[in-house]
Amino acid sequence: MSNFIRTIIIIVYLVCASGGAYASLKLPETIRVEPTALTSEPPCDLKIPPAWRDAQVIEGVEIDADPGCSPDNPAWIAVAVKGTNNVSMDTLMQTHFSPDAIIKTDDLDGDGDPDRIVIKLEIMELNGKSPDFPGQVPTFDIAPGVQPGAWVFAPKTSGMSTENFESVRATPLIRLPSPVIRVEQGDIVQIVLENTHYFPHSIHLHGVDHPFHYEFNGNDGVPQTSEMELMPGERRIYQFQARETGTMFYHCHVQTHTHLSMGLAGIIVVEENRPNNWLQTLNIGGGHVRHRSVAIKEDFDREYDLHYHSMDKELGDIIKEYNDPRLTARDMNRRYQINNATEDYFTINGLSFPYSLRESLIIVDPDEKIKLRLLNSGSESIAIHTHGHHAMITHYDGVEHNPIAQIMRDVFDLAPAQRLDLKLETINDGRHSYGEGDWLIHDHREKGITTNGMAEGGSMSSIVYTSYLGENGLPDTSHFGVNLDHFFTKEYWERKVPVWQDLDEAATFGAAAGRTINLDTATRNILLYALGGLLAGLLLYSIFVGRSHIKQYAAALISRIRGEKGGKA
Amino acid sequence: MKARFTIIFLLAATLPFCFNAMAQQQATPDEHDQHAQHEQHSGHEQSEPKQEEATQSEHDHSGHDMSTSSETAAEHEHTHKDHSIDAESHQEKPVQDHAHKDHSIDAETHEHPSEHDHDVHLGGAADHGDMHHHHVDDGHIMDHEGTMIMGQNLDKLPSGCKSISEEVEITVRAGRKYAQRFPGTVFAFDQQQWHVKPCSKVTFHFTNEDNIRHQFMMHGLPRYIYQLGMFHLEVTGPKTVSGTIIVPGSDDTLLVHCDIAQHMEKGMKAQLVIGKGGQDIPSIPGLTPYNITDVYEAEDLPKISASENKQDKSKVVREITKSLAKSDTQNYLILLIGALIGLFSIPLLRKIIPGRKTSKNEE
Repeated sequence: MSNFIRTIIIIVYLVCASGGAYASLKLPETIRVEPTALTSEPPCDLKIPPAWRDAQVIEGVEIDADPGCSPDNPAWIAVAVKGTNNVSMDTLMQTHFSPDAIIKTDDLDGDGDPDRIVIKLEIMELNGKSPDFPGQVPTFDIAPGVQPGAWVFAPKTSGMSTENFESVRATPLIRLPSPVIRVEQGDIVQIVLENTHYFPHSIHLHGVDHPFHYEFNGNDGVPQTSEMELMPGERRIYQFQARETGTMFYHCHVQTHTHLSMGLAGIIVVEENRPNNWLQTLNIGGGHVRHRSVAIKEDFDREYDLHYHSMDKELGDIIKEYNDPRLTARDMNRRYQINNATEDYFTINGLSFPYSLRESLIIVDPDEKIKLRLLNSGSESIAIHTHGHHAMITHYDGVEHNPIAQIMRDVFDLAPAQRLDLKLETINDGRHSYGEGDWLIHDHREKGITTNGMAEGGSMSSIVYTSYLGENGLPDTSHFGVNLDHFFTKEYWERKVPVWQDLDEAATFGAAAGRTINLDTATRNILLYALGGLLAGLLLYSIFVGRSHIKQYAAALISRIRGEKGGKA
Repeated sequence: MKARFTIIFLLAATLPFCFNAMAQQQATPDEHDQHAQHEQHSGHEQSEPKQEEATQSEHDHSGHDMSTSSETAAEHEHTHKDHSIDAESHQEKPVQDHAHKDHSIDAETHEHPSEHDHDVHLGGAADHGDMHHHHVDDGHIMDHEGTMIMGQNLDKLPSGCKSISEEVEITVRAGRKYAQRFPGTVFAFDQQQWHVKPCSKVTFHFTNEDNIRHQFMMHGLPRYIYQLGMFHLEVTGPKTVSGTIIVPGSDDTLLVHCDIAQHMEKGMKAQLVIGKGGQDIPSIPGLTPYNITDVYEAEDLPKISASENKQDKSKVVREITKSLAKSDTQNYLILLIGALIGLFSIPLLRKIIPGRKTSKNEE
């Protein structure tokens, strides 16, 4: 018996010691994490052909150049401008759009562009749970290795949701954020929501002029006022003919406190009605608008859609935890308390730094006018700061501000759901711009530049002049000695890379070596289980030995209860 | 006494190790490159995604017309000026079709040299910007609504098949309503498995009863006939699409699912059993267990009995009769029966306990 106890003591010591430390005179060595030990990925996505950056004409659609690192597939733009019904099957086949995703017909006002627009949206889950294997499917990284559970409105696609059968990565059209929708003033627009998701959803057209229908469904997307939730497998049409222009917002209005944060939110722009105004109906992933509307082309040299969003990790984790939709619904609808929640992920156009550099750079040249459309779909106000520039606020929530009263700022506060249209002028006069450079644009709430609390991440991007743009489409920072490579490793976001370790040769701020008995987790677990087993054995043994006592005690207890009953009677 | 202790101790000590092993199995890292199902089917080499639609030339028009409108069928001729198939091939019988197109097992045999290079091929047909598409390319047929047939095979016999053993037609229905039988799912097929003979020619009529897209996607077919080993029907409902394959000559079980995000995970999963079948596919609703199961816990939800007193008498009676039919009440009744059985079995237990006593006394 004493041998047994001794064994337990030894194991307990080992388990405890593996976590503890002991004192010494000399401090531990500095550890520098070697770059080769990290899973680094190329700063630019190698799957994207460089030819996509060029200015080009596809199906008669003029597409502006986009010197960025990950420009949109030009075929997407061509299809979004012409409609899936007006392009060749071959162009369509380069996109994964369903052949009925965007249908454009009927020039009702005879001005050379189609006025009946049907846009079909599906709802897709990103980084969800599988009952077959540990891990997420289909995956979407907002930063290297960072995969928040999310839902998006996606254009109706064709075929698989993953890149292919061997991959778990989502196909490029299925991504954060929900796509930017562009329609023309006076167009008869039908947004057809095909609920491919396993939960009920709806669409609310925030700011877009839409009638409140008495019949059918209220057309407003709100289950508490005018329509029932759209169940999985069902389809609903939201129809409108907008009289007013502006940068607006669409989102799901079912359990809005969770569904919006999960990603069911996007920008919708109503553009001025002009002749021959073929609009880029969908801007996948937001960012650079490579086929601008007639009105914007007249007044501006470039246009960017900037969708700021925030997500709560704990909320997204719910869909990673359960496969059973009843449990997901329980946790989301009844257990999740948004009043106690904190935002963890901050994205611009669905991505966080450094991926934001791939797609959401504001690339400019001197003496240009740039149209920026900002939306904040996060749950808190944000304060976007433009380094090196003051920009003019021209529109609030889609409505033009009195031109005389328009003001210039370098911090733009956006309340939740708010939109701002900015006119950024790259005139080097000390006010509009301080000159050429790689100027940061970021949320000045400091948590906005973190990813789950890890800086520098979040919705940070740059206003970068082409003279500061590298060949690969990322800002060229190498001549400053700036190296962004460690941001492109998943270990950085797992907090495993000492941020300042490479600032000097000595690695003054490297990691300090530990002084513990280094048991790997597996061995430690085995020891813990062995300990558990031993204790369980001991317990069983003691029960076995003392069973006569237990029996006596139980008998006494029973007789006492009987006695009490007897007393009562 | 000592021997018994050792056995109990050993058992108790090994138990946690088993748990540990299980936990490690479930926690295999690196979700990036693994799809659980991939491992189910041996011989899946790495694929180049770009080639997915662009390698094989096996377009067959059987009598299955997937378009609902005759208008689309008419457009067909117009759409395919660049392909060897013309509208007539619609009418051709499979056998003639076969002779006409010289299909061989070698996937490299193409009628169009440009087909390997998708971009080149695409450039050639950029002039038919009409309302209706009807695409026939590389075993990939799609209409203007996205109804799709991929990897159809009417005549190529898999190795091990001398002839077609039988011709079968299977109607597969898909939709949310078929998930009602399986708590915890949202989408499902009407059946979870189908049995066919080896070498049989199977025509699937895939009826999607929802108002969204669904797919009937089969994996694990021989790759020398079926590109990526796949056969794929896709349609936005309510509508039917049909496609035909010839199944391999050996016993096997193939995965059938809908690949739209979370549809398989939420129940739209089944298997095709060829002959005696192979290894079962996991997590098919009502058929095979999940690899990873959620943790369920009982919730303290309000029950009908709590509000009884507030109701008037007739209502109370009604509620009681209603509640008797409810599963909660049934559970309580079963609990009561269990307790009664327990009470009656006390004498039996008493007999056993003294038995143990004697064993101890012996020691």
